[in-house]
Amino acid sequence: MRILIANLVARTARTASRLTKKGGGTTLPGLLAEKIAPNIITSMSTKLQHGIILITGTNGKTTTAKMLAAILEASGLKVIYNSSGSNLSRGIASFLSKNSNLLGTKIKGDIAIFEIDEATMPEITKKVSPKLIVVTNLFRDQLDRYGEIDKTAAIIGSALKASPESTLLLNGDDPLVSNLQRYNQKVRFFGINDQIETKSTGAIDSKNCLQCGTELTYENRYFGHLGIYKCSNCGFKRPKLDYQLSDLRLSVEGSKARFVDSKNNETQLEIQLSGLYNLYNALAASSIASELGIDISIIQKSLKSVSAAFGRMETIKVDNKNISLLLVKNPTGFTQVIETLRYDNKPKHLFLLLNDKFADGTDVSWIWDAELELIKDFASDVVVSGIRAEDMILRLKYAGFSLKDISIEKDMDKALGMALANIREGETLYVLPTYTAMLELRKILYSRGLVKGLVE
Amino acid sequence: MKNKLTLVHLYPDNMNLYGDLGNIVTLMMRCQWRNLDLEIQKVKIGDQFDLKNADIIFLGGGQDLGQKTIAKDLLRRKGEIKEEVEQGLVALTVCGGFQLFGKYFQTSKNEQIPGISVFDCYTVADQKRLIGNVVVDIEKSANEWHTEINFPRYKESVKTLVGFENHSGKTILGKSCKPLGYVKIGYGNQGDGGYEGGVYKNAFGTYLHGSLLPKNPWFADYLITLAYYRRYKKDFSLLKLDDSIEIAAHRAAISRAQTAKTLSI
Repeated sequence: MRILIANLVARTARTASRLTKKGGGTTLPGLLAEKIAPNIITSMSTKLQHGIILITGTNGKTTTAKMLAAILEASGLKVIYNSSGSNLSRGIASFLSKNSNLLGTKIKGDIAIFEIDEATMPEITKKVSPKLIVVTNLFRDQLDRYGEIDKTAAIIGSALKASPESTLLLNGDDPLVSNLQRYNQKVRFFGINDQIETKSTGAIDSKNCLQCGTELTYENRYFGHLGIYKCSNCGFKRPKLDYQLSDLRLSVEGSKARFVDSKNNETQLEIQLSGLYNLYNALAASSIASELGIDISIIQKSLKSVSAAFGRMETIKVDNKNISLLLVKNPTGFTQVIETLRYDNKPKHLFLLLNDKFADGTDVSWIWDAELELIKDFASDVVVSGIRAEDMILRLKYAGFSLKDISIEKDMDKALGMALANIREGETLYVLPTYTAMLELRKILYSRGLVKGLVE
Repeated sequence: MKNKLTLVHLYPDNMNLYGDLGNIVTLMMRCQWRNLDLEIQKVKIGDQFDLKNADIIFLGGGQDLGQKTIAKDLLRRKGEIKEEVEQGLVALTVCGGFQLFGKYFQTSKNEQIPGISVFDCYTVADQKRLIGNVVVDIEKSANEWHTEINFPRYKESVKTLVGFENHSGKTILGKSCKPLGYVKIGYGNQGDGGYEGGVYKNAFGTYLHGSLLPKNPWFADYLITLAYYRRYKKDFSLLKLDDSIEIAAHRAAISRAQTAKTLSI
């Protein structure tokens, strides 16, 4: 009965939220639903025939989930996943309520993919018993909310302890993540074996061995602290990979690599998304799918057709110009986006949007850890906007970027106009927004009729 | 020949949270724009280095693990660092670095990490994390500092420092350590909105990230001036730079601190 009421209330709230255009209606309904029926997540999640896949980690959750959903759907499963990027507990509750019948006795899917914020993991594993848990990577992110990155790892660890039946799929190239293996019996690793190396010399989040404190040595570092590492003192090292990518080919238009699964089946993966980080996402999605027994040819075929997730190099047409949205949330992600834009050495027009609301991280210090120095290699002009636009322009000044090529406009609508005026027909404006800045920009694009909805 | 200053960056690999690099970049660029070389020497655990050649020493913030990792190595250098600070070495320490330049840091697990007692202060971890934008008044506190040159007070904006704090440690100052400033907005050393940071001779400690120096260029210039004076024994009037971008960011940070809700976990 409680679930029925909760579902009714959640549905009303969602409709109201959409009608008043106050938002996408992805969190309030769940907040209310959980208040009314605290066990709503537990109760409804047991109705899924093939169980639940949890995806957590700092970067890549949304894209990995989207890729996995495409693969699973191609294999004939009915998939539900929280694609709107609201990955706190109340978002999950909203989402389950939306996908169930009113009584909560049936759910519209065979398998669910949940992307979960790192800090929310213990709360979620208390409520559901997932089939598989994936940890993509751990970078410094929104430290003002979660404290520190070592603590984030410990929080995920405590969540893993609470779900001993789940298979754990870890990014072996990330020492912080691979170290989580001690929390679980059934562990699989994915990673990359390639010659590619990062240009970035910036801040590294985890340089010391988590077992003994000795500095890790890298045979090869792909980006941030991801790579082939080992500890010369205690023997902690990048684990043997069950799923791997090699022969990487990266460009601004897309990426290719060879995928080998745990049974030595191999295939050539091709994705429309650029950036090494997106190959990691494709690898994670392929590894999960393999682990679920899906044929490698289905994986190969369906990944090819996956387009960018919400704001992850999503391209929008404006008259005869293009807007490419590349969400930036943390230093490593920011540096990765910059490294990606630099692949072809062609000059580019940038629009940088820095907000400091809760979902962006209220501390803007992180932009000083991102390697904005690399921007001057390819950016012909930059327009900055957002609540903390002044901080961004200051960062660019100290990155050695010429001030005469930067414009600042706090009004985002006007700023978009300025940025678009800078580019010619057929050209692309690369927009690098923080999370709430992206939502704000989408509202502007929506009001101009350029995007269909505020959420995906 | 170009004049040169040397900055020793202690443990950049272990202590580099929250944009500490912004402080180094700011010192470097502001020297460079004045045709002054700033050499950066990174010091790792176990490295040999001679502080006699150093003009500025910097230690950033770190997580508990990072602090524990470097504490022993830092302790080994205690005598040398203390002696140089007595002789006027310029030091900037942020957050975890500030804590370890004090007497000790007591973690939330009641472990005591010994510091090097440059500052007469100690830090005790508390359950509540103090997180948010900070505005600090340094007009009055600057009169109490025993730095070699008085902090110049020639601009309206010089009276404040802006930044972002994020610490669970509460730092209590002893007699010989003067506050860096008085909190106008934010929590400060003890979470009570009282004072912020610590100063002893030419050594400074603070909880301000943000990064600190880019948005407070007068403070960056002050550190450069102190270091230059000590090295070359003459007054060094820094070439005036166009700081309009810095001042705009400083003002924006103040108005944001006034309006943003501070969050706690």
